[in-house]
Parts: sequence; structure tokens; C-alpha cells
Amino acid sequence: MISRPKHIEDTKGLLGQLPTIDAPVPDFLYLATDNARCKGAEIYVKEGDRVLMGQKIGLRRAAFFEQPIHATCSGIYLGKEKHYHRSGKLVDFLKIQNDHLDEWDPSLKERSDEEIAKLSKEDIIEILKECASVGLGGSSFPTYIKMQGKQPIHTILINGIECEPYISADHRLMLEDPESIIGGIRILQQAFSCKDARICVKSKYSDLRQVYGAFLKRPEAEGITLCPVGNFYPQGWEIAMIKSATGIEVPSGHLPGEFGIANFNVSTVAGIYQAVKYNRSVVERLVSVTGDGIAYPSNFRVRVGTPLEYLLQACGGFVKEEVPKVLILGGPMMGASIPSTDCIVTKTVTSCIVLNAEEAKEEPCIRCGSCVLSCPTGLEPQQIMQAVKANDKDRIKALNPLRCIECGLCTYVCTSKIRVTDFVRRAKIFAKL
Amino acid sequence: MITIVNEKSPHLRRKDSLARMLIDVLIALAPTIVFALVVYQWDAARNLAISWATMVASEIVYVLIANRIKYDGKKHTFKEHLKSGWSKVTINNVLAPSVSAAIFALIMPARTNPYFMIYPALILGSLFAMIIGKLVFGGTGSNIFNPAAVGMVFSKICFGSKYIYQSRPFFIVTGGTPLTNSIVEVPGLNSLTGKWMGINEVPLESLLFGQVGGTIGEAFKIAILVGMVYLLIRKAADWRIIVSYLSTFVLLMALAGAIICTRHDINFFRFLAFQLLSGGMLFGVTFMLTDPVTSPINSPSRFIYGSAAAIITVIIRLFGALPEGMAYSILICNMLAPALDYYKWSSPKWNKRYVIILCVALGIALLAVGLGLGFGGEVVAA
Repeated sequence: MISRPKHIEDTKGLLGQLPTIDAPVPDFLYLATDNARCKGAEIYVKEGDRVLMGQKIGLRRAAFFEQPIHATCSGIYLGKEKHYHRSGKLVDFLKIQNDHLDEWDPSLKERSDEEIAKLSKEDIIEILKECASVGLGGSSFPTYIKMQGKQPIHTILINGIECEPYISADHRLMLEDPESIIGGIRILQQAFSCKDARICVKSKYSDLRQVYGAFLKRPEAEGITLCPVGNFYPQGWEIAMIKSATGIEVPSGHLPGEFGIANFNVSTVAGIYQAVKYNRSVVERLVSVTGDGIAYPSNFRVRVGTPLEYLLQACGGFVKEEVPKVLILGGPMMGASIPSTDCIVTKTVTSCIVLNAEEAKEEPCIRCGSCVLSCPTGLEPQQIMQAVKANDKDRIKALNPLRCIECGLCTYVCTSKIRVTDFVRRAKIFAKL
Repeated sequence: MITIVNEKSPHLRRKDSLARMLIDVLIALAPTIVFALVVYQWDAARNLAISWATMVASEIVYVLIANRIKYDGKKHTFKEHLKSGWSKVTINNVLAPSVSAAIFALIMPARTNPYFMIYPALILGSLFAMIIGKLVFGGTGSNIFNPAAVGMVFSKICFGSKYIYQSRPFFIVTGGTPLTNSIVEVPGLNSLTGKWMGINEVPLESLLFGQVGGTIGEAFKIAILVGMVYLLIRKAADWRIIVSYLSTFVLLMALAGAIICTRHDINFFRFLAFQLLSGGMLFGVTFMLTDPVTSPINSPSRFIYGSAAAIITVIIRLFGALPEGMAYSILICNMLAPALDYYKWSSPKWNKRYVIILCVALGIALLAVGLGLGFGGEVVAA
């Protein structure tokens, strides 16, 4: 088939209608010491100490920032244990025995609306830094660094598109908790002193249009509009979203801030509200567990640090156990596959997808050109693949693979079932040399 | 115990396969094949069977040779080599040569004079098409030239003077001039011979319904159009190539027609319709030019590729020594494809360079057609 895919088949239609279930908090919770951006951590508590919910118990260190680790339940700190992190690596996790009291750290004070209204941009950045607020769409990039940009912002875009198939955590969050989202957007408006905020959603979600149509009429939602954009993949890629929502084209290698745009994921915005209003870091998040390998796909509100196995059991376990499964954290197009069920739900896990593994036989490339037609960044994946096979560095560099965002569409559309994306990834490594 | 497989993203694949694409082409060819079998009966069956058997056999022999056990110091029996090669034979090793064979059989004539010359023409043409046209480059997906066109040109060069393009009346067309029931047994002639001078004598209905001389597949245009629509609906062929080819063809032929009609007693629209409906042009553009393996990969390159093929076809039709040049124009444009996709200027979006290339090519073609037919002077009839 020589064409660009209009949509990617999924099961979200079903899952998006299911209400979120509060997953019971397990007896033991695990907090990562390392994550995708941080290597190494300093622990403030000793084994056997009692920790409180929201208490700072450690500090992750990264190249240019530090990030506090907050306990997500009250209980006894039991030491380190190795588990799989979202990135697919074995990482030290801090094990906490939950006492099910959910006792919050008394030093965390709630702010009244008047107090919030007095906060300056610097104050908000300081609060977000203390609460370890990060991009919850999956990037886990610290929000405060994103907000430190000096350029004036004229439009705030809230990314609620969730363009990946199967996952519906953001969709459910937007339906069930519009107050937090609008509260978070107000804080952002205040911080950037910018009125124009747009919530970008897929135009096919009429339920979101109804809910927000009513909510955005309220006086506190001044300046906030709902901005329905396309239904295609990768509409949620920030450059595609900015183009659809504002018409501004951000060239590759530039940041949206240079064009006066700040963009945040909806979960991040809800997290910002929790941080500023209650001084709390993210202790809970919405996770969809779905895929054709799971018995009962569900949306859960999960305590951060819950083992994944616990969620899989809550979904009724696997179906067709004789078929090998692929376990994905994140969307099925860009998410990382993890080698074991022994994995922990961290702040940035949006979903867990269990697919029955399919062995696709690779055929020779017939140059149908679907990958070229589909590439959202205007690359020529087929030519890059040939250049990688020929080991021709000049050609690889001329084809500019560094623009690739690894959306995976070239592999998805390939008529010959070639993993084109892997070749482009290799080309990116070559091009950086 | 559950097995967890670790794989790189993305984890979803479109429901699509190479076999599906090849089967789509075969289905699109089916109306033409059915027409050929009904009208040319045994001749068509023989063409199809011989070229299919030859091409599939040569591809499978190639796969067996290419996948024999690699030299590892030990001695292997012939049977072991055969087993190792056979394990690599897939359905696509049958389907891909089947498509080439069907196209090749349909662009061969029904009869030769003497009659037995059709056998070497078919067998040698098929072998040449597969071996030189495809397998020496590495099999499916690696060939530069369209195998069917290579084989057809080879056969035509070697045996062309023996070909007979017969017209066999099939449909009773109401309202047209009475059709000739006699078989024109003149070697080397098809509906385009005589260029535009015989246009007034050829009824358009007979062109549309395949009542004219030609190869067994190219005559019946309705079947080809059905195939084209099917290919476009299933997206097994790129519409860019077909659209750019046909629009360039009509543009250049309109200029030629405008010049010719002022000098001769020929209706302009009749001239255009004649050019569109005669010869192997429609068959070539539907099934041979759109072959993704031999066409460029970027969409602007594909536009230019289609236009270039149309330009060459028009020039061969108007000025060439051959009655028509569909196969030649396809082969020449196959050579252009890698140049259009050269990494230093290729781009999946239209840019200035592509527009300039297209405009220059079209300008030269229009000038050539105009000057060749004589903007001012007398028309030189071919």
C-alpha cells in the first residue's frame, strides 16, 4: 500500500469510555533513584526510618539539575532493591513498607487562592523545583527548567492530544479532573503573564468538547480555549501541535520558546496545580493498562511506586499465556519495551500495553515510498536505510537523520515489514560521529 | 510461565504485506488476462503459460543458488544445498515473477510468421527479462529496469520482424465503420503504424474495445482502465505517476494535434482520443511505469518521472522510427530514477530545483514537438 496512514488502529474507543479505577495501594512501594535523566542519588533517610507522605527522602543528581525524591506513602524505609525502570534498565529502587495511614508531611502547607495570586514567576519556579515537577507526558524533563526561559511567551499550549493509539490516561484525566487542569493553566498564565492558553485535543473527542464547553465558560477560565486539532499520529509531537494550533512552524533544532510558545502536557499541568496549591509532588497518576494480551483492559489511578505486576494482576492477568508477550511502557509507537514484568510505575509511566508478539517476516524493500510519504519530519527513511547498509557516512550526513523524532511511522507502514526506524536510529549515531 | 519478548519500538505494524501488493497487481491484470484468453484463446494461454513457467523457474533456481550452503570447509551434498536453498523460497518468489510474466506475456504478439518463432521469442525473452533484467541485480527490489519491458524489448529486437499484430473482432460495435474480419497478416504492424495519417479510418470504438491489431494485452482499453482504477483504489500504484504521465501526454499531444489539425483534415479531439486509446501506452503506464521498484521514491521525483516518460513516448510516437515507444520510454526513465533520487538534491517535498527540472523538461518537449512538426512549414508525414 503506497500511502500515508490516516489513523492507526487502536482500541481506545473502548478504553476511553471506562472510568478510572482507584488501584489499591500495595504494601510495598518503590521509588527510583535513577531515571532517564538522572544518574545517581543521595539518600537522606536510614534503613528503618519512618517516612511521611510527600517527605523529601533523597536527591537525584543529573548533569545540570537536581531533583528531590518524595515518598509517596507513609511507612518504613527498608533499603534499596533492583528493579526495572521504565527505560528498560535495572535501577536501584528505594523500598518503603506502606503503613496504609497516608500521613502527609505536616510541613507541606496548603496555599489559599489569595496566596497563589501573589506568587511571582520565580516563586512558582522555586515551588516546582522543590516538588520535582517534571514533564509527565513521558519526557520527564523538569518543568522549572522549561519555565526559566527568558523569551516572552504569547501562547500557552496544553497538550491533551495523546496521539498514540491504545492509551487513554490523559483523555480520562481531562474528563475527570478539569478543575486541576484549569487551576494549573491559571498558574501558568500567571507565571508567564500571558492570557492566551489553548488546550489542544483530538477533534474526534466530542465528550471533551462538551465537558470543556461548560467549564471554560466559568469566570476563572478566562483566556482558556479548547483547540480541537487533527486526529492523526503524530499530532501530539510538539512541532505538529504548534503548527496545527497556532500555524507557527518551528524549524527543527529550535525551541518553541523562541517563537513565544510554551507547551505542557495535561498531566504536567495537573501536577503543577497539585504542587502550587498543596505543595505536594505527584503521588498518584493515571495509567491505562491495555493491549490484546491482557484480560480486562482498565484505567487506573495508581500510587507512584506501585509494582507493575500488581496492576497486571488487577487486570486479570494475561490471556493466551502460551503466546509470547511484548510489554510496553508508554504508547505502542514510541514506548520502550521492557524485558520483565518486574517493573515499577514511576511518575512518567502513562500506560502499560501488553501485546501478543507477532513475528513479521522481513522481505526485500520494494521502494514503495510509504515511509517517505509518512515521515512527519520530511526525511527519506528508505534512502537513509540504504546509506546505513552501504556504510556511506557522507550520504548519511547529507540525508540529515538527526531531524528524526523516532515516531516509528516508517516501520509501521513498511510493506516489506522492515524495521526502518532501527536503521534511522543507527544513522543518527553515525551522523553524530 | 509467560515469555516476555523485548523489541524496539514501534510495536504496531500496518496490516499490509508485499504479497498483498503483488496479488493486487495480479487482480488488476485479471480483466486484461481474461480478455486476452477469450479473444486470443490458445495463443494467449500459450504466451502466459510459457512466460510464467520460465520466469518462476528462473527465479526459484536463482533463490536456490543464492541460498546454497556457504563454504565452510566441509563437503555438502547437492541435496543439502538444495534443502538450504529451498527453505528460503517464499510465496513472493512465485508472485513477483508471476506479475512480470503476466505483463510480459500480455505485451507479446499473438502470432509470428513463421508460427514457431513465437516460442524462442517467449522463452528467450522471459529468460532475458528475469536474468539480465532482475536477477543479476539481486532479485526482487534490487532491479533497475522493469523486467517485463527488458524482455519485451529484447524479443522485439531479436524477433520483431516476424511479429504479426492481429486484430480479432470480439464485440459487435454498433454505429462504427464495419470492422475488418480478415486477419491482416502483415508482419511488424500494429494500430499505430502509419502514425497519424490513418486516424480518420480507425473508429474510436474499435480502439476502445480492442478491435485493432496489437499485442494480446494492450488492445482492450476497458479492461486496462478497470485494472488502473483497482490499483488506485487499493493504492498498489502511486497515483502521482499515472496522473503526471497522462497529463503530460495530453498536453504534448494537444500541441501536436493543434499543429496537425491545421494542416490535415483531422478532428483535434479525434486525434487526442486516438493517441490516448491506441498502442500500449495505457497498459504501460498502468502496469509497468508504476512498478515501485524501478520508479523514484520521493513524490516530486515521481511526478517528474511520469512526465519524463510521457515526453519520451510522445517524441517516439511522433518522430521515432518505431510505431510507439512505451517500453523504451519506460526503460529510459528507469535509468533516470536513481538520478532523480540522488541524495544531494532529493527531497520528499517540492522545492525550487524540482520545479525547475520539470519546467525545463516540459519546455524542451513542447519546443521539440512544435519544431518537429513545423510551427510554420509543411507537416512532414511519417
